[in-house]
Amino acid sequence: MAGVTQDLAPRESGAVPVNRRPSVLRRMYNQRTLILMSAPIVAYVILFSYYPIWGWTMAFQQFRPGFSFWEQEWVGLKHFRFLFGDAAFLNVLRNTIAMSLINMVLGFVTAISFAILLNEVRQRFFKRTIQTISYLPHFLSWIIVTGIVANALSVEGGIVNIVLMKLGIIREPVMWLNEPHYFWGIVGLSHVWKEVGWNAIIYLAAMASIDPALYEAAEMDGANRYRKMLHITLPGIKPIIVILLIMNLGWILEAGFEVQYLLGNGVVIDWSQTIDIFVLKYGLQIGNYSLATAAGIFKTVVSIMMIFLANTIAKRLGEERLI
Amino acid sequence: MLEQHQLTYKEGLLVLMGEKRRRFWRGLSIALALMMVLAACSGKSGDGGGSSSSGQQSGGGSSGASGASGGASCGDPFTISAFIGAPHQTPTPDNRIYKKIENELCVKLEMEFLVGDLQQKLGVMIAGGEYPDLITADTKLVAAKAVIPLEDLIEEHAPNLKKHYAQAWNKMRDSSDGHIYWLPNYGIIHGEFFQTWYAGPAFWIQKKVLKEFGYPRPKTLDEFMQLVRDYVAKHPTTEDGQPTIGYTALAYDWRTFPLLNPPEHLIGHPNDGGVVVRDGVAEVFAVKDYAKRYYQELNKLYNEGLFDKGAFVQNYDQYLAKISSGRVVAFFDQHWNFQAGEDNLIAQGRIWDTYVGFPLVYDTSIRDWYLDRPLPNLNNGFGISKDAKDPVRIIKFLDALITEEWQKILSWGEEGIDYLVDENGRFYRTPEQRTQQEDPTWRLANRAEALMGYIPKIEGTFSDGNATSPGNQPEEFFESLKPEDQEVLSAYGAKVWTDFFSPAPENPVYYPAWQIDLIDGSEAAIAGQQMTDTSLKYLPQAIMAKPGEFDKVWDEYVKAFDRINVQAYLDRVNEQLQWRIENWATN
Repeated sequence: MAGVTQDLAPRESGAVPVNRRPSVLRRMYNQRTLILMSAPIVAYVILFSYYPIWGWTMAFQQFRPGFSFWEQEWVGLKHFRFLFGDAAFLNVLRNTIAMSLINMVLGFVTAISFAILLNEVRQRFFKRTIQTISYLPHFLSWIIVTGIVANALSVEGGIVNIVLMKLGIIREPVMWLNEPHYFWGIVGLSHVWKEVGWNAIIYLAAMASIDPALYEAAEMDGANRYRKMLHITLPGIKPIIVILLIMNLGWILEAGFEVQYLLGNGVVIDWSQTIDIFVLKYGLQIGNYSLATAAGIFKTVVSIMMIFLANTIAKRLGEERLI
Repeated sequence: MLEQHQLTYKEGLLVLMGEKRRRFWRGLSIALALMMVLAACSGKSGDGGGSSSSGQQSGGGSSGASGASGGASCGDPFTISAFIGAPHQTPTPDNRIYKKIENELCVKLEMEFLVGDLQQKLGVMIAGGEYPDLITADTKLVAAKAVIPLEDLIEEHAPNLKKHYAQAWNKMRDSSDGHIYWLPNYGIIHGEFFQTWYAGPAFWIQKKVLKEFGYPRPKTLDEFMQLVRDYVAKHPTTEDGQPTIGYTALAYDWRTFPLLNPPEHLIGHPNDGGVVVRDGVAEVFAVKDYAKRYYQELNKLYNEGLFDKGAFVQNYDQYLAKISSGRVVAFFDQHWNFQAGEDNLIAQGRIWDTYVGFPLVYDTSIRDWYLDRPLPNLNNGFGISKDAKDPVRIIKFLDALITEEWQKILSWGEEGIDYLVDENGRFYRTPEQRTQQEDPTWRLANRAEALMGYIPKIEGTFSDGNATSPGNQPEEFFESLKPEDQEVLSAYGAKVWTDFFSPAPENPVYYPAWQIDLIDGSEAAIAGQQMTDTSLKYLPQAIMAKPGEFDKVWDEYVKAFDRINVQAYLDRVNEQLQWRIENWATN
């Protein structure tokens, strides 16, 4: 962007000699249209991204809504100490990261495999149909999906239990949602069911842009279908994979809220509660806004760190980068 | 590819800034002008209160304090926005009662109903700092200074309300600053109060079970559970072939009392929420031995296959659905909490599948205390928010509604249409009128139930001796009973459902402890949340434990409970109990 405007300014004003750098004010005047055009965007960012950071002060206060800023009581790092001193929060942190990683790994592996498989389907109509059907669940809201999941896993007449019993794998119905250790898996699989088709779209698009000549050349060299997948398709979509991975790493502390909130219950709370649910319960529901803010700050800081980390790794590996 | 893109971008800019620059400027200024107009428009609509307050000046005189008769239509009704803290279906736009209010009191109500979780909704409202005129009571709103003190308003402008609340006036004061913020919606009794239908906590069992065993009257938990065992052994499936569920327990969202409260009742204490109060001193009973005894019994039921396997994964809707399927033999709950499920059974005509509540205790030496005397429903009802443009007008409106004339319209309906008066001045309904009242769709068009639930109301009897609601008019109550219900009642020699309970003793001054405000964000509130979390985590585990492992889980539960700052919670509760003893006793 910067490059563009610098090139542009002299050409547009015409009068300024190319070898002399004009003063800042002069340049600003010359580029006033550009400045004007970017003003709304800058204002937007300031208003919605930077101004709210002021609210972080709440984390260091015992914030009471309805009172002015000057009436608030400052408490230093009290809320952070409570967060990191509370065994429940460390537990919650573990759950969040674990579920997030499970979702990410499962999400990537299934979406990429699915895209590759779909890409190999020769018959157009069949391919289209599969694709449409597979991404439809994406448009369902989580409340519906969790309802379906809870029904399928129900002890009384849940399809999963019926099928497993008919197959003779289990003898009596399993209480899937009452077993803490199954919870992460259930969440992971629900995510896959809902998002696999949708996530595959972007990879399919990336595959479509791979030069067909490469496949032809590989065929000449005697590569079979698996070889082609491994040596042409996968490397072809590698940049996309890396970019998406970087972007997703930033969301590592966003394991989701609705799924865990709607599928969880008291029995599995040690494995189901995520940071967002914790914040809702101990922050918003009992009016402790400061604690909610402190947790929010923590999440943001971790997210930024993760993005930079992933970006650096990508740079070392010589791949595309985001920043 | 990138290079190309840059070029086109540059070209585009050049074009814009070249000879077409003028047009660009003109376009921009038009856009800006448009934006300003839009902003002005939205500003106006956001300030809706302003226009309605001007309307108030014109109509203010004609519709003052009393619900004066005369349908003189007032051109521009005063709009009051109200937030109802419970889910409700929106009444029809031409609802008969709301129309009447609009015509005669010159007030138009704009009601917003709760969708989702109340605490969350209030949290968002507070964060946004904008409130409707009338708002559902919650202590959170007092802490956020969202509501205005009402005592002076009532003294000056609302003589009827003042008279109505006379007996509860001191109790209504907020313990932190002595102001009155809320107008309790229930529990202010005038004249004589007939409790016919029982809304409170009890152990509930299906009427068909009682019939099957010749109408026994279980007094202890053991006797009760024996009935459940015998019945399920005899009828493993319902008539339509679904497996019978012996006993269930709900613990979802804030509705955790069906699982957590039974122990306090079983030892003969009234409903104080999470504590048992002895001589003004509270104790948390969650891990006490008398609590253990109850959950151990549930554990036994579970291992016998009688306890609902899906109990701890069900949400409130699933719970109601389960009850309306008629499969659940027994459970502990408060009647109002599962009423919707039971209503479904009644609508299907399955009266034998509905429930009778029994006040169980551990052994017969304990006197049951389930039924309590009506008490002001403190920290409930409506308050007036700081955003209300004209609080005087609003309090006058509420004052008009508390008159007997309007109370009759709101609870009985319109004379001649919804009820009739016999030669002795007693109100009654014809069978057709009763059936009409059972139809939810009809009620949406002909009753003002959502409003009625939250405004101050007279309970007991009117000055003419009629009960304040049809359900409490003894003769009307008997007439409206189904034949099956009459059979059950007469088998026990009872006349009303409350006859199964010991008469309510005088309420202690400090009763009930569950209404105590723990103060948002305080140590006590955090401890309270942790206690609930811990109970909801370990109790299901204990109940679903294998035989012999119950004690192990229970010990873990006790240990986990010990790590919580229960003292902070108790200190707050006890401090408030003391405050009540000092400030309410003189009343």
